[in-house]
Amino acid sequence: MNNYEQLAKRIVQRAKKKGAKQAEAFLEVGRQSSCRVRDGEIEDLTEAASKGVGLRVITKDNRLGFAYTSDFEPASVDSFVDRALRLAQTAAPNKLNGLPSAKELGKLGETGELYDQAVAGLAGDWKIKAALEMEKAGKAVDARITTFASVGAGDYVSEVYVASSEGVSAGYSGTYVYLFASPVASENGQLQTSSWLDYKRFLGDLDTPESVGQEAARRAVRMLGARRVKSQQVPVIFDPLMTASFVGNLADAADGNSIYKNSSIFVGKLGKRLAPESVTVVDDGLLKRGLGTAPFDGEGVATRRTPLLEKGVLRSYLYDSFTARKAKAKTTGNASRGYSSLPHIGTNNLYLEPGTRPPEELIREVKSGFYVTAMLGRGADAVTGEYSRGANGLWIENGELAYPVQEVTVAGNLLQMMQDVDAIGSDLQFRGSVGAPSVRFKQLTVSGD
Amino acid sequence: MPPATARTKRPTPAQLAPLATRQVVAAPLLPQPLIERLLAVAMERGGELAEVYIERALLTAVILEESRIKSAQTGLIQGVGIRVISGAKVGYAYSDDLDEAALLRAARTAAMIAQGGGSEQSFKVSRTPSPSYYKVSLPLADVDVALKAELVLRADKAARRFDSRVKQVNGSYVDNTKRIAVANTLGHYTEDTQDLCRIGIQVVAEGKNKERRTGFYGGGGRVSFSHFDAFTPEQVGREAARQAVATLGAAECQAGPQTVVLAPGWSGILLHEAVGHGLEADFIRKGTSLFAGKVGEKVASDLVTVIDDGTVANSRGSINVDDEGVPGERKVLIEKGVLKGYMYDSLNAKLMGQRSTGSGRRESFKSMPLPRMTNTYLAPGDHSPEDILKEVKRGLYCAHFGGGQVDITNGNFVFEVSEAYQIEDGKIGRPVKNAILIGVGPEALKNVSRVGCDPMPDPGMGTCGKDGQSVPVGVGLPTLRIDNMTVGGTKVS
Repeated sequence: MNNYEQLAKRIVQRAKKKGAKQAEAFLEVGRQSSCRVRDGEIEDLTEAASKGVGLRVITKDNRLGFAYTSDFEPASVDSFVDRALRLAQTAAPNKLNGLPSAKELGKLGETGELYDQAVAGLAGDWKIKAALEMEKAGKAVDARITTFASVGAGDYVSEVYVASSEGVSAGYSGTYVYLFASPVASENGQLQTSSWLDYKRFLGDLDTPESVGQEAARRAVRMLGARRVKSQQVPVIFDPLMTASFVGNLADAADGNSIYKNSSIFVGKLGKRLAPESVTVVDDGLLKRGLGTAPFDGEGVATRRTPLLEKGVLRSYLYDSFTARKAKAKTTGNASRGYSSLPHIGTNNLYLEPGTRPPEELIREVKSGFYVTAMLGRGADAVTGEYSRGANGLWIENGELAYPVQEVTVAGNLLQMMQDVDAIGSDLQFRGSVGAPSVRFKQLTVSGD
Repeated sequence: MPPATARTKRPTPAQLAPLATRQVVAAPLLPQPLIERLLAVAMERGGELAEVYIERALLTAVILEESRIKSAQTGLIQGVGIRVISGAKVGYAYSDDLDEAALLRAARTAAMIAQGGGSEQSFKVSRTPSPSYYKVSLPLADVDVALKAELVLRADKAARRFDSRVKQVNGSYVDNTKRIAVANTLGHYTEDTQDLCRIGIQVVAEGKNKERRTGFYGGGGRVSFSHFDAFTPEQVGREAARQAVATLGAAECQAGPQTVVLAPGWSGILLHEAVGHGLEADFIRKGTSLFAGKVGEKVASDLVTVIDDGTVANSRGSINVDDEGVPGERKVLIEKGVLKGYMYDSLNAKLMGQRSTGSGRRESFKSMPLPRMTNTYLAPGDHSPEDILKEVKRGLYCAHFGGGQVDITNGNFVFEVSEAYQIEDGKIGRPVKNAILIGVGPEALKNVSRVGCDPMPDPGMGTCGKDGQSVPVGVGLPTLRIDNMTVGGTKVS
């Protein structure tokens, strides 16, 4: 057992000794480094180590208190434990408050490797070289790439420990590595940008800097000359990145916290068909090499594979132990958190299963429609299902991408959009912990002139 | 401001318990000799400027759900960020470990950015006095948490009493007592204590056929706790409930260009998105903003004067000094439609041959400062809000707003309207749902045709995100009419 694991245990013991009925410490330690470049030179370099621990206590009369600190000095840790207990006195007693029981914690599943020695041992100048390469490759794509809003690379190595009075004592280490590029294309006084990235646990899974730089540049250049279109209702295709954010909206609606508060369009819809058979959405905490893969969630519960929608039918909500108790259901291992927050519902690796057809085919079948590649705004409101966002992309004419479009919005309702999914591409990709292929909706409202 | 009083009707358990948070902010941040040593080490390999930023913040939060306090929370954030500037290059390192060895390691890491060597210069710093725009009577961290809990409980009660269709009330009260110190190799040392609080109430109302609508309201600022004697939680709860209930039965929103009238206050985020971000110096220097190179040009209607003011008393976005130790300022960005200038942090100012406008802000010691807004306002005009509305035959009245977002480069911005009504013959008509405004900054501002005489800062709700860093901001707008604004909706005629 290392020092951090011991510290987490010691905090729990002290809380118990000071009168807590239950206590749980969630501790994170990390080191990160990143670099951005500009015009062939380093713009900035950042390196740091950080740490922190959060303590959740349940008092004997079932009140919930929480405190966090990054100060690991023994005296400071002691006073932080006392603070959590005192603060709990302000909260109301609630019989449902409680840490996951041994049964709820479950047996930890097989995650495969989470730690890549190649990332942990990256040479100091790797990220500088990678960022410079992205910038160079992007500029080489087209003379109209005049500059970059930002272009850089970085890595992160983390350790997570959780200990509780209910028997948890576990930890894991993980690595993360990323590349990002936002070039600016300019022509006739119009500026356009794009944003492209890759983010993985393993260096070998990461796209090359060259390909990230080139793709970012292509996406910016093709937006030059963008204009508005008339307001109309047409078929709309989301590219994989935009679909990923749509899939995130579906997970928000399945959030167990919104369910018991009657604040989601998914309330009362379990077991109902909400989308065509082609639609299967899964959250998988055990996906091999996934960015969001981990053996346990933010309260030590074993992660697992949870289908939200299976062949179009709503199969499950997402729960942590508290929301599961509220709903008389079982936790799905979706307690998400950093050390500075109480657990809330989040996803592990969330994805929409791909179809069999290449994205070009989805476009080819559209006579007049909108291919969306960037959006502004937050997306769907889980309470009402309303969906309204600013959108950029390319207009489709007779099955071809015809010209760039900006300053329009796409709008609909989440439940209707789910029913209206009429084609799913084969191009599933993960650029983060949410993955999706291209998706075509039968009809959305595009607002413009 | 009257001093905060510990006024309460019935003792609560937390009041009987000893206070949890006394004295926490009184500890010294770092000894001056250590700060000077860190500066010297940071400059060991050359470079033009080194800076040490020290932060210690104590946060308290109370969360309400189902008419009771779900949890009470507290957190301590402390650490040091060290920055070395060499030409246009920046080295940055931070540590949440305050022992000398860890800090020296951070200073050496930041120093690596410079390629020179051998400097053994020492640096002395002396305290620079700073202005005071937000004195509080008692640090918010020292206010009894039971009083904070009582605020959200009162708001919940008021929201539920407002209308029987109110089905859910979620509430929070959050405060932060943050002490910062900034020292640099120019010899400046500045300290500031920044208290900040906010109450927020979200309401879900349910109408016929299970139709659900939401409302949100809240506010606060860099204020004493007694602020809530005047800005009462009852008022906050009722306003959130009013919004949710008022929009029940809303019709679909017509898509396409319309005349829009914006209610005063929080609508100021339109300015923040449409022009504010595009006037931040980093985007200007890099040539990624469509406002680059346009100083002296007409970028808005004659009626438009935009001010960013970090010196507004007790406002959420105000700063005595920015996170580089430069005093907060009032800056006219656009005057009668003409672009006057940009918002600068020290680094971009230096690289562009300008001076800092006190706009260098950061989320915490973990981040480098960026040029940011503080409180961004549109100056009032001469039309009465009633007349502005009366003149519009058909259009959209935007009463309350969600958030917004902008693409700095092409200028496209969106602005979510959470409470909107059709305007028919100069009168407010039926509520409409799912409305969003979209435009390109300068074009939207050129279409401003009426500015109300009703200046109104927002109640203190805004948080702005940029490059992953969140900072508190204020916004403000009088009643405003914009012609030919694209409204995103679901109905096409």
